[in-house]
Order: sequence, then C-alpha cells, then structure tokens
Amino acid sequence: MQTQSEAGRVPRQKRGVVERYVYVPPLRRQQMYYAILFISPALAIYLVFMLYPFLNTIYLSFTNWNGATVTKDFVGLSNYARMVGDAAAWKAFYNTVIWVIIGTISPVVIGLFLALLLWSGTRGSLFFRTVYFLPFILPLVVVAFVWQWIFHPLFGPLNKLLDSVGLEQLSRGWLGDPSTALYAVLISAIPGATGLVVMILFAALQNVDVSQVEAAKIDGANWFQRAWYIVIPGIAPVITMVTAITLIGGFAVFDNVFVMTGGGPGHASEVLGTYTYQIAFQENQAGYGSALAVLMTTLSLVSAVVFVRLRERQR
Amino acid sequence: MTPESQRIAGGASYGRTRNWLAALGKYLVLLLFATLSLYPLLLIISTSLKDPLDVTADPFELFSSFSPVNFYDAWTLGGFGGYFWNTVVITAITVVSVVALSSLAGYALARFYFPGNNIIFFIFIVGLMIPFFSVMIPLFYELKSLSLLGTNAAVILPAIAGATGVGLPLGVFLMRSFYMDLPEELADAARVEGATEFQVFRRIMLPLSMPGVAVLAVLVFFQTWNNFLLPLVYLQGSENQMLASGLYLFAGGRTGEYELAAAGSLIMTVPVVILFLIFQKYFIRGLTAGAFK
Repeated sequence: MQTQSEAGRVPRQKRGVVERYVYVPPLRRQQMYYAILFISPALAIYLVFMLYPFLNTIYLSFTNWNGATVTKDFVGLSNYARMVGDAAAWKAFYNTVIWVIIGTISPVVIGLFLALLLWSGTRGSLFFRTVYFLPFILPLVVVAFVWQWIFHPLFGPLNKLLDSVGLEQLSRGWLGDPSTALYAVLISAIPGATGLVVMILFAALQNVDVSQVEAAKIDGANWFQRAWYIVIPGIAPVITMVTAITLIGGFAVFDNVFVMTGGGPGHASEVLGTYTYQIAFQENQAGYGSALAVLMTTLSLVSAVVFVRLRERQR
Repeated sequence: MTPESQRIAGGASYGRTRNWLAALGKYLVLLLFATLSLYPLLLIISTSLKDPLDVTADPFELFSSFSPVNFYDAWTLGGFGGYFWNTVVITAITVVSVVALSSLAGYALARFYFPGNNIIFFIFIVGLMIPFFSVMIPLFYELKSLSLLGTNAAVILPAIAGATGVGLPLGVFLMRSFYMDLPEELADAARVEGATEFQVFRRIMLPLSMPGVAVLAVLVFFQTWNNFLLPLVYLQGSENQMLASGLYLFAGGRTGEYELAAAGSLIMTVPVVILFLIFQKYFIRGLTAGAFK
C-alpha cells in the first residue's frame, strides 16, 4: 500500500506534466515485484513436473539405467543403435506410421464430406453435429471397451451382422487375428477424430463467401465442382490445421491399442506408445524406454514443423 | 445459417426428382454416420441395463432386459463409487489450479513490464510441444523419490504442469492472449483511484477475462477426467484409482460381468456428456480457436 500512496501523490505534485509519464517509474518497480509473485507458482510447477523431466528423458536415453540402481552408466548412442536392430521397435514404428496415415486421412476426408453436406442447408444440422461430436468427448478407455465388445469373436455385433447378411466366412476374432488387429483398433478411433474435424470445418465454412458459390452455380458448376474449386480452397488453411492436429496426436496413440489388444497378438498391433510403456514399466528399462520416447517426440516435432511451414506457404 | 445461403449452397439444381434423390442420398449418408457415432453409446447403455442372467445368453443384444441393479453393484462392489469421487477431487483441484495459476501468470506476462518477459513466455510455450511420453519415465522416478506415487498428487501435479496437453502451457498461452486484448485504460483508471496491482487484477481484469477462463476450465476438465495414462502409470498398484484406470483394472481382471463394466463406463461417461451439453459453446470455442490461429 505504501508504494501505492507514493504513486498516487506524484501526479498531484506535478500538475501540468503528462500524468502518465511521471506515474510510470514507481509503477514499474511495483509491477516487477508483482510479476515475480504472479508468475513463480506457475513457473515452479511447470519447471519441476514438465521441463525438468523432459530434459531428463533426453539424458536417460544416453544411459542404460534400469530404474533401480543408484548410478546411471553413460552408454552414448547404444540405445539408439539397439533400436535399429530391434524388430519389435520397427514393428511399432511401422504400425504407428500406418496409424498416423490412415487415422488422419480417413477422418479428414469423411469429416470434410460430412461438413460440406451439413453446410449445404441441411435440416437438423445442429443435431447431426452434436451427434458426430459425441464420440470425441467420450473417454477413450470407454470407447476402446465398447469396440472390444463390437469385435468380440462370439457375441460381437459385427460378426452377428456379417452372419445375418450371409458373409459368415468373413467373421473372425478381429482383435486376435494378427492381420486385422491393428485395423480393428484403428476403426475405433475414427468416429471421434471425425467428429472433431466436422466441428472445426463447419465453423470454418461459416466464413466462406457465399456469393462466389452462387456465381459458380449460375455458371453451371455442380455440387462437387463447387466444393472442389471454390469451397475447399477457401477453407484450405483450416483443413491443413485440423490435419496437423489429428496427425500429431496420432504419434502419441496409446489408450485404444493398450486397452483393446495390449499391442498383441505378439507385436501385431504394437505402436510406439504401447512399446515404450512396456519397455519402461514392465521391463524397467528406463534408458531404452527414454530413447523410444525421444524418437516419438522427434517424429511429432518434425511433422509439426513441416505443417507450420506448409501453412506459412498457404498465406 | 440463413435461408439464402441454404438456397444457394443447396443440392443439385436440375429438376425436382433429381433434387429429391440428392436430398435423400444426403440424409442417408448423414444418418449412416450418425448411427455409427451413436451405436457405441447405445451399446453401453443397453448392456449396463441388462439382467445378469441375460448377459450370459447374449451380452450385446440391444435393450433385451432392464435391470438398474447393475449401477448399484458397480458403485459398491465394483468400487466405482470410490473411483468416481476420487476422479471428482483430482479433476476439481486440477481445473481450479490451472485456471488460477494461468490467469496470474498470463496476466503478468501480458501486462507487466520486466526484463525476461519474453523468455519466460517462450519457456512456457515449449511445453505445448512436449508430449506426455517424453516426460513419463523420469517423472515416474521423480514422483517416487518424492513419495508421491499412488497419491492423488501424482496425477494432479503433472496434470497442472501440462502432462494431459491442456495444463499450464496452454493456459498461460490462452490467458496471456486474452489479457493482451483488454484495454489498459481500465487498469490505469483503477490505479489512479488507488488500487494495488493485485486489486487491479482481481477486481477488474479477472472478471473481464471470464469467457477465457470458462474456455480453459472446460478444456482442462475434459482432458483430466478422461485421462487414462497418468493414473495408469502414477497410481500403479494403489487402491487409489481414477475412473479410467479403475475401469481398466476392473474389466482386465475378469472375463464376464460385461453389465458391471458397462455400468462403470456409464458412470464415467454421463458427467462428461452432461457437462458437454451444458458448456458446448465454450468447449467448441476453445477447440476452434486453436485451429484458426
């Protein structure tokens, strides 16, 4: 309060001078004090529970620490060399790439199509958008369980549906079959991601210049031509952004795979997230696990940078 | 949507029959995907209401019997009552802390002049690009050495720091940009009246930033409530679980009892759906703001 009364007195003493100019110096001192007070709690928690462990991950990736010993032996790049020769790590990497590609393209394409349909004057648009968005807000664990039931070999509604339409030769234990496990899990993630795409693209469509669409219509362009040549270029930056969000999230996929298959059978549906978890917490190899985590981080950072560049070019 | 834009953007333009067919096709596609989106939710509701005897016959036939007793059993015998309250406590503390700490820090970074302002902001922004996997392992041993593993703090502190993706880094970023848009004249007026810097923040700026606070609070709520990996790793082996990890442990430990797993799933899902329907506006604003930047 003392600084305050000082600050209050200064302008009154020097009438005629621009008040704010005289007023600033004590305010600055006061603000510096308050800045420390306001920022330090947030900064402390962030540094201790985020930035410090992040730097520690990089450090641990150069050690062979098992999580128990007091000393951590520096082993240079040998964890990374081990990764190159680790068939399971390659499988996890390969599956993650498949997940990222299919898990990004299908929601973006389906979501864009649905958003365009809803935008072309559809009754009940709000209803459809809300329904599409619901899977996105559901807990992933719950989503994973339900789809596990849907794919159940005996009782599963999918196999029942196939039987009832005479395709029983297709029915199988979707999650237990190495050739379908990854794709079955991938399907469980698509409705949620699509809901997000619809929501964001529908919002973007509200800014599209309708008069251009009308002009094209008068010129005889059909629905697909109007969408492809006028509407989609108009919202291209937002499409890029929503693609980036889905894609970068895809590198960190964990919940669906872990709950539905645990990465199995064998490593058939293993992704980098589940493999890192297994190495770090079931085999207690903190060093090698950290190297895998660094790989995941690098992949998502590189793709983030690529997308930022792409977006800059679009402007 | 205005009637005019509907007319302009609307279906094919030649002839009535063709228009009618196009509309039919459009609604069929829309309804097909709506069914795919709603079916999982219906399946949980149906299974959670199923008579335990009926479950052994066919657990996934929609609405073949009604037996609300599963919710009672899941809540008490399944332990979901405990998980529920635990999740409420963890989520509430996380939401309040993230909102309070990000408002303070975001305000200071937007409005106060001091050396290093930009560097500190940059340090926070780095956190937006750090996925949880790249802090998960050392953080486990850090929490262990602090004797926090298995306690609520082992989830709350990382969640506040940004492990769920919507902690302090996003909060500071959002709140700072919000405070930068507020007019400085208001603060000056209050200072002339003799308000301290804290009073300026608390009485003038914070109330004005409530729309930003609401967006942030809603995002943090959903990410914390739904988070699975944090409690899975840091509450490992403890009786103390959240709904996500409790559900996983419950269903992982047995083969049958789908009706109880479904009831547990619904206990976790219902608050999310209700809050989403109430706060939809803020939630969508938060997500779209991110995409348009």
